[in-house]
Amino acid sequence: MSTAREEILTALRRGERGGNSAPAPWRSRQQFDDLAARFTATLTGLHGEMIRAASADEALDRLGDVLRDLGAARVVVNDEPPLAGVDLAARWPGIAWHVVGRTEGDLRAFCAGADAGVTGADAALAETGSVTVSSGPGRSRMASLLPPVHIALVAAERLTSDILTWAAARSGDLPANVTAISGPSKTADIEQTLAIGMHGPKRVIVILYGE
Amino acid sequence: MTDPKRVAIMVTCMVDQIMPEVGVAAVRLLRRAGYTVEFPVEQTCCGQPFFNSGFRAQAADLAKRSLDIFEPYDAVVLPGGSCAAMIRKEYPHLLERWPGGTARAEALAARTYELSEFLVHVAGWEPAPAARAPRVTYHDSCHMNRLLGLGAESRALLRAAGCEIVEMHESDRCCGFGGLFSFRIPEVSNAMTQEKVRRANTTGAEVLVSADPGCLMQMRGFAHQTGMRLAHLAVLLEELTR
Amino acid sequence: MNEVSFHTFRADAALAIANPHLQSAVDGATLKFRRDRLRALADLPDVEAMRDHFKAMRAATLANLSEHLEQFERQALAAGAHVHWARDAAEATQIVIGIARQHGARLAVKAKSMTSEEIHLNAALDEAGITPVETDLGEWIVQLAAESPAHIVVPALHKTRQQVAELFTREVGRPLSADDIPALTNEARRALRKKFLAAEIGISGANIGVAETGSIVLVTNEGNGRMVSSVPPVHVAVMGVEKVCPTWDDAAVWLELLARSSTGQPLSVYTTAITGPARDGDADGPRELHIVLYDGGRSGMLGTGYEEVLQCIRCGACLNHCPVYQEIAGQTYGHAYSGPIGAVLVPLLHGLEQYEALPHASSLCGACLEVCPARIDLPRMLLDLRAEEVARGVIAPPEQALEKSAAWLLGHRRLFGLLTDVGRVFQRPLLSKDGLRVPRRLNPAGKRRLPSLAPRSFHALWDELAAEEEAVAGAAPVKRAVRAPSRGRIAAVIGASVVPLVVLWHLLRRRGGKR
Repeated sequence: MSTAREEILTALRRGERGGNSAPAPWRSRQQFDDLAARFTATLTGLHGEMIRAASADEALDRLGDVLRDLGAARVVVNDEPPLAGVDLAARWPGIAWHVVGRTEGDLRAFCAGADAGVTGADAALAETGSVTVSSGPGRSRMASLLPPVHIALVAAERLTSDILTWAAARSGDLPANVTAISGPSKTADIEQTLAIGMHGPKRVIVILYGE
Repeated sequence: MTDPKRVAIMVTCMVDQIMPEVGVAAVRLLRRAGYTVEFPVEQTCCGQPFFNSGFRAQAADLAKRSLDIFEPYDAVVLPGGSCAAMIRKEYPHLLERWPGGTARAEALAARTYELSEFLVHVAGWEPAPAARAPRVTYHDSCHMNRLLGLGAESRALLRAAGCEIVEMHESDRCCGFGGLFSFRIPEVSNAMTQEKVRRANTTGAEVLVSADPGCLMQMRGFAHQTGMRLAHLAVLLEELTR
Repeated sequence: MNEVSFHTFRADAALAIANPHLQSAVDGATLKFRRDRLRALADLPDVEAMRDHFKAMRAATLANLSEHLEQFERQALAAGAHVHWARDAAEATQIVIGIARQHGARLAVKAKSMTSEEIHLNAALDEAGITPVETDLGEWIVQLAAESPAHIVVPALHKTRQQVAELFTREVGRPLSADDIPALTNEARRALRKKFLAAEIGISGANIGVAETGSIVLVTNEGNGRMVSSVPPVHVAVMGVEKVCPTWDDAAVWLELLARSSTGQPLSVYTTAITGPARDGDADGPRELHIVLYDGGRSGMLGTGYEEVLQCIRCGACLNHCPVYQEIAGQTYGHAYSGPIGAVLVPLLHGLEQYEALPHASSLCGACLEVCPARIDLPRMLLDLRAEEVARGVIAPPEQALEKSAAWLLGHRRLFGLLTDVGRVFQRPLLSKDGLRVPRRLNPAGKRRLPSLAPRSFHALWDELAAEEEAVAGAAPVKRAVRAPSRGRIAAVIGASVVPLVVLWHLLRRRGGKR
């Protein structure tokens, strides 16, 4: 091991006060009567868009509406529920699809030129209007990042109250990349003027389905 | 307690030399509240200017001196939150270099009060409403507000005396004094003071009230830029309760 | 090394104060942050208890920092990351350059990172022939202007839209209008998108390191953190050793407080947890992740009176609430870390001798302590630094002599009374309605009017006041007749008084012209 490592650790040990003074984990929690309502209110307040659907089937219909309204010609889609197994080309024949992990070709180049990216979500945080997306097989980081529009299909049962409950419920290994996305990319770096869509998507549309 | 109705006043060096009328007013208010006031004449400075500029040994010497002077009294009252905070928060650790110093300092700290605090919480004094009282705005001085948690007391006294209080935007924003800061970096200090006075001015109040002589002295440096009267809480209350 | 003496600090402060655009930009931004912070925190139940908990967690982590770092390292290695340790800035920059060279990188895209500012990574990369491109919009603007950040969170706070339009025009080679800020932002999006896609390496800091999983957390609003860690094939994160926390429970509390304290958002737009590089079967992501654990003087603060400063999470709340920062903005501090945290941290990192003015760049109002999510007692540390300056002779001997004699004098009540009485005589020609009228050039208080000594001190008034009938409402006013001290007394002390007064005058004037 490097000498830098040993030297730093030695210096740290010299200064450390030691003892076990770690506080018990923070357990106070916010209570939201209606997680979906809070999620919707926060997300729309963050310039995100919200569509409710009764079922996964209806969520796909709503997705079709959104893509039609966008006039989307090139769409990248993660191969995950509720999209996995859906015959996209048959359902929406006018669109060039890139299904992550299945379609041949340069994913990055496709994402960079896509009109929209469609993903699922592992969780939705009601407090902050966030959806969490994870990396993995069939799950592209760039699908929710490079296209100008990100559409996330989220099962209502994935709603949790906040990052605290998310962390407490977490178990086992984390994927290499987990991102909580709270609305579209934004900046106010020029004269404090809000501008939407700095590097990430300019529109974030969440389709929340199920009860 | 030998006589709970006797208090010592620590006027602070600034009041002693620059605005003695604040001390006079404080003494009269304490008397009106039913107290006998003693003025230990050996007093000079609590040591805060030296403590704040890093001269710990000098600050400790002056702290020890003040401790010796004020220790015999049952209660010590100061017409200034910053110096009161110095005694209450800093003396115990500054005096640890003397045997028993911390314990003595803590004992003194426990019976040291800022004036409005003493009048409201110890004396339970409430001024009668004056026939004509001015509209005022109140500056929350930093140490009094953040170290002693005081500010509601001043406002309660002003209201009882008949004043209407018009709050300025961020009344707890520093006036720019900061002791020697105001001489070491006067450009910044002055800009802060002008901002403070500007905000006070926009309230339309007739009087800008502060319970701290330091803030008052600092803001008076720009008094010529405002039509407002700048008054210490004690002075205004004393006038209104004659 | 940038040196911040009293002279340079005062000169830069005066420039900042005289800059109306800067003043309105800082006022506007900080006021918005203050309001939004209050609103965002009000949303949390038990927020004060949560801050206490957070502070306790940070303190407990520092108490066994080496263990947590070792666990972090173990877990990060297990997840496939490379972990490097750097004692100082030179080591840290060499590690980053080494990784870049190994991959033949010519272009590096960077997410906003205060640690990389601290180690001057851009300059080192440039020198090594690797072009660093800042991709946070504000940082990019500051980089194009070849300046340093004016604020920890909003680096280009001080730039007008016109200045930004000029910088972008030069960069894209087409004339751009300053009228439309979203359009300017879109130009930056286009220009930087090309860089993201072309860069061989992405560089970031890390807001948090989570020991139990070896994860780093990146927080951004623009998405630059996600970009540099997702698009290029190699990702390097430089993290201060103090940024680690034991568990995800701890990280979640950290995140609940970070954005709220910083920009007043409940959570930033993107909160990314990175645990190792892309895994087998992952659709995309960097093939290599390097984490550089950077000490840079932090280990030396552990166990000292300044340890608490290591609890800082760089939220910028202390800047937004500091009345001094609000007048002078970040660049006056001469370092990327500005405001109250900079005033404490910079002298600790780089030496009091180089940054003598910074511990004095505060009125000790305590607003920073009040708003710090970790309740770091910055005022206490500023006081300790000042005491160190005195002890180490950073404060010049003449001033030391002056302060010490003033303290001595205040220990001798009669002599002090005598001297002030002399002052009362000497000030007479300068008296005006509200203070002394001193020519600006000679006034140590600048444009503020100096206070005058009262005609009589409280000591002199006491006998009459004591004679007043006690406890009577409506007591007669004390006679305020001016009674000059006797000529004999004046003569006796004139020599003793004039000398220190002249010395004082001289010193205070020299301060302004030093260096």
